[in-house]
Amino acid sequence: MGLALILGGFLVATFLMVVAKRITALIAAFRLQSLCLFLYVFGMALTQKHFELFVVSALVLVLKAVLIPFLLARIVRRIKVEEDLGLIVNPQVSLAVALLLTYLSYVFARSIIVPQEALRLASFVVSLAAFCAGFFIMASRMKALAQVLGLLAMENGIFLAAAAIAGGMPFFAELALFFDIFIFVIIIELFVYKVNRLFTHIDTSKMDSLKG
Amino acid sequence: MTTFFPQQLFYLDPLAIFFLAVIGLVSLPSAVFSVGYLRSESPARRALAWVLFLAFALSMCLVVVSGNLFSFLVFWELMSLFSYFLVVFDHTHEKSVRAGTVYFVMTHIGTALIMAAFLILYAQAGSFDFTAVKQAASAMPGSARNIVFLLLFLGFAAKAGVAPLHIWLPLAHPQAPSHISSMMSGVMIKIAVYGMARFFILCLGTGPAWWGGCILAFAVVSCLIGVIYALMDHDLKRLLAYHSVENIGIILLGVGAAMFFTSKGMPAEAALALCAGLYHLINHALFKALLFLCSGSVVKATGIRDMEKMGGLIKVMPWTAGFFLVGAMGISALPPLNGFVSEWLMFQSFFAGIINSFGGVKLYMVLCAAALALTSGLAAACFVKAFGITFLALPRSRRAQDAHEVSLSMKLGMGFLAAMVVLFGVGAGVVFPLIMRVAQETLGIPGGPVALPTRLLAVAPVGQASISPFLMTAVLGLTALAAFIWFRFVSRRKKSTYNTWDCGYYDLDSRNEYTATAFSKKFRFAFSFFLLPYRKVDKIRESFYHVRSFTYETHTTAVFEKHIYKPLLGLIYGMALRMRKLQPGSINLYILYIFLALVILIGITGVLNP
Repeated sequence: MGLALILGGFLVATFLMVVAKRITALIAAFRLQSLCLFLYVFGMALTQKHFELFVVSALVLVLKAVLIPFLLARIVRRIKVEEDLGLIVNPQVSLAVALLLTYLSYVFARSIIVPQEALRLASFVVSLAAFCAGFFIMASRMKALAQVLGLLAMENGIFLAAAAIAGGMPFFAELALFFDIFIFVIIIELFVYKVNRLFTHIDTSKMDSLKG
Repeated sequence: MTTFFPQQLFYLDPLAIFFLAVIGLVSLPSAVFSVGYLRSESPARRALAWVLFLAFALSMCLVVVSGNLFSFLVFWELMSLFSYFLVVFDHTHEKSVRAGTVYFVMTHIGTALIMAAFLILYAQAGSFDFTAVKQAASAMPGSARNIVFLLLFLGFAAKAGVAPLHIWLPLAHPQAPSHISSMMSGVMIKIAVYGMARFFILCLGTGPAWWGGCILAFAVVSCLIGVIYALMDHDLKRLLAYHSVENIGIILLGVGAAMFFTSKGMPAEAALALCAGLYHLINHALFKALLFLCSGSVVKATGIRDMEKMGGLIKVMPWTAGFFLVGAMGISALPPLNGFVSEWLMFQSFFAGIINSFGGVKLYMVLCAAALALTSGLAAACFVKAFGITFLALPRSRRAQDAHEVSLSMKLGMGFLAAMVVLFGVGAGVVFPLIMRVAQETLGIPGGPVALPTRLLAVAPVGQASISPFLMTAVLGLTALAAFIWFRFVSRRKKSTYNTWDCGYYDLDSRNEYTATAFSKKFRFAFSFFLLPYRKVDKIRESFYHVRSFTYETHTTAVFEKHIYKPLLGLIYGMALRMRKLQPGSINLYILYIFLALVILIGITGVLNP
């Protein structure tokens, strides 16, 4: 029951990311999503009593819920761009699309998992929905940081799917993945900073001027 | 058993050795010629030319001796690439680069078709080796064999320059340095004929009658189109390139007739037809290489390729003119030179086919023979034009006037080929049995030991028909000698030098001369249904009676370019432009593409497995 509630929180956090209009709001929603992910993994660790799961949950908390949002918030402060994300699709329609994607995920999940395993089914639906929502954010927001956060949301969805369906990936694979994500965010931070200094904006919609 | 790595590296049968001989006979004089031809280039470019030349010649040899599909294709591609680099050797000329691009595209379309055919053969045989492919090919279903035949034929035809896939040839061959033109026209396009002989006759078997008939039809079209365009063209090297299209047609008449006769159960006629084709192949290699080298000398000496600006070169370049005349007589099939022998053999094989066949086949053979006769006549007319306008009369430009004879190495290269042209004609009695043996081996007909040359070095292929070029030479020589003696010593006629009679005008200069355009006018009329000539007249008048300037141009419509290639290219460009709208340069849109693909896949899976 507790895990189901946490899943609900995860899904709400995902929807919050979809409707966010400002970068700081997007980061805050991502922090909430990561927090829910931490709680989910921690709950699983409590029920299964695996030492490794405790370590993984701690890593989720430290990296995804604290460090990465902090780094992203810092870069937002440092480059002093306007807060607006450059929405191509407005929040209302975005929410409708996210709901539709969630339903689609449910239809798809039903074809894979039998309805008797309600929790696994729900976890899979939520993770797939988060994956699709992250994708949708990448496609429908103009600022480069939105693409980063969309990708991170997709990563959270995949992580949730791995934890819920397969009971987690091999331990070392998880560690390597965390390291990857962390390095990715650091590099992106650097790049966004440089790009902003060079072009005075981080608007990807202006990249079509590169086309010959 | 499926083996990816070929076991059979080389395959040396009489056919391969015959082609090696052709490559050697043309490469050697071309190499000697290039010593003088490249003298004005810088040392670095000279070295580059030599490296490319040798690599080109070597890759051709390796294509011919390859024993499996894989190495055949690799060396085939190397041959195409090296020749491409040689075509664009003068890379500062925009024309060279453009010609090279057309050549590159056409040759790779051909290679793609050949590759597809090879993959089908490999899938059937499970091995790249020729012997395995040959065994598997005989067990293949008929439809697969037909597809392989069509793919291979179109692929090799693109390389050989068979009409209507010939458009690269008149662009690329003239643009290359002349010794390379002679290699490309003399040898490289023959390698495609080797491919046809190897894969149709030796690997696939000769197949149903329509295979041979199809080759014959393409060959006839090539013959006529090649020679008609050659008549219209006044660029010396491009004229020769068009003649290559024509002669490839004649060679393919032999190959096609051989396949046709075999499928009709006439092995003796088939052997004669293939022998005629191969004989013409080596002859064309010799005289076309010679003519390209001569044209190279002319271009080197004058710096121009337009015949209308030449003239009178026989006085300043007697050696080159003499060699060109030998080559022109050879290609026009004048006895006793080599072109005559092979075309005579070709006619004999067609006549034998006509006698031994019935109904529609008979008519088809008659039409092919008639087309060949028309082609020979037009070719002779074309070389009257080429030799007359280029070498005779008065020089038409300053550059033609100031020309000088070329260096010794160039004369040596041309002289060797000219001697070969004569030898392959006069000595036909020796050469014919050898080539006949190659043809018999290729068709798998048991032939006896190589026949010794008969009396008077005569060629006697079938029945009572026989000729002796040697005897002809003797008679011609004796007649000439007698005529010379008569006029020199016996006749009392006085020699007197006079101006050309000009109706009392007394001021004729080179602008009053007969031109190549005028010479070809009657042919432009005769073939106007195909050439679609048009003219542009531009008069600027001061008054009704006084015309200040008058320009007159006449052109022919490039039918294939206009009705086949232009629409095709337009279609491709149009599609490319429409495709381009998918790529507006927006990251968001690209992500959306991936996203939509994913969502659609998820949706389909969800709907299909409820």
